[in-house]
Amino acid sequence: MAEKTAVPTNPASANFSGLPVIGLLTLLSLPLAVMYAYLFIDTISNSQGGSLVPSEFTLEHWRFLWETRPGKPNIWLVTLNTVIFTCCITAVTLTVSSMAGYVLSRLNVPARGFFLAGVMVLHAFPSVTLIIAIFIVLQYLGLYNSLIGVILVKAAIDLPLGIWLMKGFYDTVPWEIEMAGVVDGASRFTVWRRLVLPQIKPAVMALGLFSFLSGWSEFILPQVLAPGARVQVLSVYLAGLIADDNNFDFGTFKAVGVFYVVPVLILYAFFQKHLMNIYGGGTKG
Amino acid sequence: MKTSRMLGLVMIAPAAIIILLFFLMPVILTAVFAMTNMSTATGISAGAYQVTQAAVNRLKTDMPELAAGISEPRFVIDEDGLTQLDALKLKPGFTAELRASHLGEVFLSRREAERMIKSLKERPSTREVKQISDVFNRSVMNTRFEDRAALMESLAKLGFKLSPQDEEKVSRATYTGWIWTADNFRTIANSQDMGQILLNTGFYVAVTLLLFNVGYALLLAVTTHYMPASTASVFRAIWLLPRITPVVIYVLMWKWLTWDNGFISLFMGLFGHPPKNYLLDSAGSAWFFVILINGFIGASMGMLVFSSAIKAIPQTHFYASEVDGANRWQQIRYIILPQLRWPILFVTCYQTLSLLASFNEILLSTRGGPGRSTEVWSLAAYHTALQNYTGNLEYGLGAAMALVLVVVGVILSLIYLRVFRYDTLVTKPLIED
Amino acid sequence: MRILLDKFCKSFGTTSVIEDMQLEVGSGEMLALLGPSGCGKSTTLFAICGIHRPTSGRILFGDRDVTNLPSQARNVGVVFQSYALYPHMTVEENIGFPLKVKRLATANIKQQVAEIAKLVQIDNLLGRRPGQLSGGQQQRVALARALIRRPDVLLLDEPLANLDAKLRLEMRSEIRRLQRETGITAILVTHDQVEAMSMCDRIAIMNKGEIVQIASPSDMYNDPRTAFVAGFLGNPPISFLKGRAEQGAFVLRDGGLKLPLPALSGIADGTELTLGVRPEHFGVAGGIPVEGRVTFAETQGRENLYDVVLPDGSVLRSIQPVRDDVKPGAQVRWMLDSSSTFVFAEDGRRL
Repeated sequence: MAEKTAVPTNPASANFSGLPVIGLLTLLSLPLAVMYAYLFIDTISNSQGGSLVPSEFTLEHWRFLWETRPGKPNIWLVTLNTVIFTCCITAVTLTVSSMAGYVLSRLNVPARGFFLAGVMVLHAFPSVTLIIAIFIVLQYLGLYNSLIGVILVKAAIDLPLGIWLMKGFYDTVPWEIEMAGVVDGASRFTVWRRLVLPQIKPAVMALGLFSFLSGWSEFILPQVLAPGARVQVLSVYLAGLIADDNNFDFGTFKAVGVFYVVPVLILYAFFQKHLMNIYGGGTKG
Repeated sequence: MKTSRMLGLVMIAPAAIIILLFFLMPVILTAVFAMTNMSTATGISAGAYQVTQAAVNRLKTDMPELAAGISEPRFVIDEDGLTQLDALKLKPGFTAELRASHLGEVFLSRREAERMIKSLKERPSTREVKQISDVFNRSVMNTRFEDRAALMESLAKLGFKLSPQDEEKVSRATYTGWIWTADNFRTIANSQDMGQILLNTGFYVAVTLLLFNVGYALLLAVTTHYMPASTASVFRAIWLLPRITPVVIYVLMWKWLTWDNGFISLFMGLFGHPPKNYLLDSAGSAWFFVILINGFIGASMGMLVFSSAIKAIPQTHFYASEVDGANRWQQIRYIILPQLRWPILFVTCYQTLSLLASFNEILLSTRGGPGRSTEVWSLAAYHTALQNYTGNLEYGLGAAMALVLVVVGVILSLIYLRVFRYDTLVTKPLIED
Repeated sequence: MRILLDKFCKSFGTTSVIEDMQLEVGSGEMLALLGPSGCGKSTTLFAICGIHRPTSGRILFGDRDVTNLPSQARNVGVVFQSYALYPHMTVEENIGFPLKVKRLATANIKQQVAEIAKLVQIDNLLGRRPGQLSGGQQQRVALARALIRRPDVLLLDEPLANLDAKLRLEMRSEIRRLQRETGITAILVTHDQVEAMSMCDRIAIMNKGEIVQIASPSDMYNDPRTAFVAGFLGNPPISFLKGRAEQGAFVLRDGGLKLPLPALSGIADGTELTLGVRPEHFGVAGGIPVEGRVTFAETQGRENLYDVVLPDGSVLRSIQPVRDDVKPGAQVRWMLDSSSTFVFAEDGRRL
């Protein structure tokens, strides 16, 4: 029996070599690799015009970290805004969808099926088409150009997916756990809080991660709903930098870009598997 | 009420409220706004009545006399004016005489008014006549009235006799706020531009979907299937990067690749091609890159969905087909592809919706250019309502354009719901309380 | 067609599964690879059909060296444990698949499928899909698909494992019939000794990646080379008693039982031994009386099965024609047929 465990359960067949497909995909992946490589190289180097090989090391592209450009908000304020924006979205999405998902999976509420259908339709629904109406609504509510407004909107748009995923996760928790809890005298709320929620911790983490990345990357909502200097987030800041600079300085753009993208890449590197599950389950884009 | 039901309602309430307020309400409001002519000019709150030159011009065709009358000042002998006369220190009996004999009269021109003044017993000096007539100079031009009654009252004082129909016309011409209208849909249906944008959208969605979101995704899923697991996961990680990377940076990288001094220009320079901006050089190259930019993002979802579907095919099916003599192509053709039918349908449905609505990438890369050659429907709606160079943002028209997408979206997602049989996903709670 | 595995080795990564295996299957013979799970029998089968390649050694079909040939070029038919029927194809398409990928004409395929379907008696099911078939029918489809291109070798990987008891019996004879009728060389991989014994000409017993013994079923049953083989064959299984040699006799550890055995001549006194007693050799007939207490009794209809605990705590199994007089707890004195017992050395070797 001992050797059985060490043998892969489904070893690939020996009839087809992997080399041709690996070669093909390597070739196809080259453009992406080049783009990402130069994203990093260009931030710390200068090259002679017309050359792709960097000729000198420099930190000048990173000046934006300690010098505020005229007409632009301070980068640290923007970063703070982004962190607040992202964390709030994550918190709202997690709290609200972990509750609602449980209800849809387990509790007997009126119109449960209807709500579930609604969530599923909205989950597939292209929410960005609503941006015009949302823009006007926020104007009416006085939430235009405020972080709180755009946070609520972004959370609302992410919620159907979150609820849908959480419902799926709860569905995998065995009923016996809850039955045992109820028999032991716990209320349904306690059962949820103390018995069920701990079961799906990895799922909660995956959804939290997804919300975080989705919030961190969001561009069009803050661009339209909160473009002001006081409430700007990194995506809007960077887009503004690129848009109104006639003298393209890719070194600086990319330095800001790297500053912006590094947290994403770190999270991605560590939690790639979790994210693959979620992105494979169907998201927008 | 049962406690679990109560708990359920409490726990679902936050989700319901947020979704209702910021998701469902905008859906309905998109329809509502689509029926208005809201724009920067009208503002989004209730407007006022103002006789501007533009309003007069609007009236000219229907009521030329009224239009001419409104645009010229009239002279009305009213209490306001009479009180002001005190400041002019005229002869003591003049004001009383004017009030007694002419209060309420309207004179169509300064000449007529001054003739009347001169004809009074206490005739003022020529210099004073001018001052006095100035005091009674009345016009509604460029005056702002908060409501319709105030405007009509002023017009009546000026001696305009208006029938109810006329009043309607005047108020409509002078209203500065937004009004209900179906014009937006007429504009959409009749405009030449819209037709072109519709074509662009169809082309963009079909080509991106076929080549990348399904085609290239299949290629990625199938090729990674034929690799050792560790190599496969490296490639999947690479091809998920475009989706993970924030869109602003992702598009920035493409811009760097394609601009005049960018990678492609430098690379092509080695073969003697002059540098150019490959992104915006021509409609063809713009489309090429727009589809590539979106396709690289779009391929990842299909890749993951198809990969897991292939993984779900029992390994022995592959073994069996190999001992049955199938080569790699035959294995793909007869074993893998037939079993991916549902995942392909799923991805097609889903990504059609996403592609129809997404304009992030096009906005950040070509902005719909060069010219309007890569303008798609959702981007056009955005440009109309939220960002354009003329500065007049037409919320109403933009909402109407978005409404088209909303309707398509709702229909497609309902079909999607039916196709994927959500009802099988609702299970009865096993704890009955 | 003869199959020869010559110095066959297979390892996955650093884990060696099979080392230096030597196996020859004669033309038209049906051989069982029998062993517990994880012993390497499926690995051997996968190497023969080409899904895995040997780490070293050669595989010959007849005189043709197929060691490095892909499965597609080997002309083997395989019936997988799960049958591996393609769910999106009808029965007819499933059976015809090996011919379709050879790009035979449709009419030709149709005719051959009809023939083979008749042979395995599923000619009335050709339009169905695998999901609409019973386990036994699926099994027949898998057999037909394996046989349709007249393979040199038929490989069966636990073909009966997913069937219920009655169908298993039926398919056992069915597979044997087909193998005989087609005269094909076949290898059956199984962990079920009844299957191996009832279906095959010869059995190769495997343990931990090695072939322990190859012999015909009856030879193997009556003359096991090791304790492992003796323990693997036979239902109900053989019982083992621990003891030692004493003056040419086997003596239980507590000295309570003494069996003089010719095999023990020349074995030093005090050597640790294991005695194997098949249940049919402990009962009413035999030479040596053994006393013990019945702890378990079970009727199997025609026969009764008893567990008897000896005073030293070891257990002997007995199978006897049905009788009602013995209940659990009863003290019995039954006879042991010492001439039919096997003695094994401490390392499991038969003496």
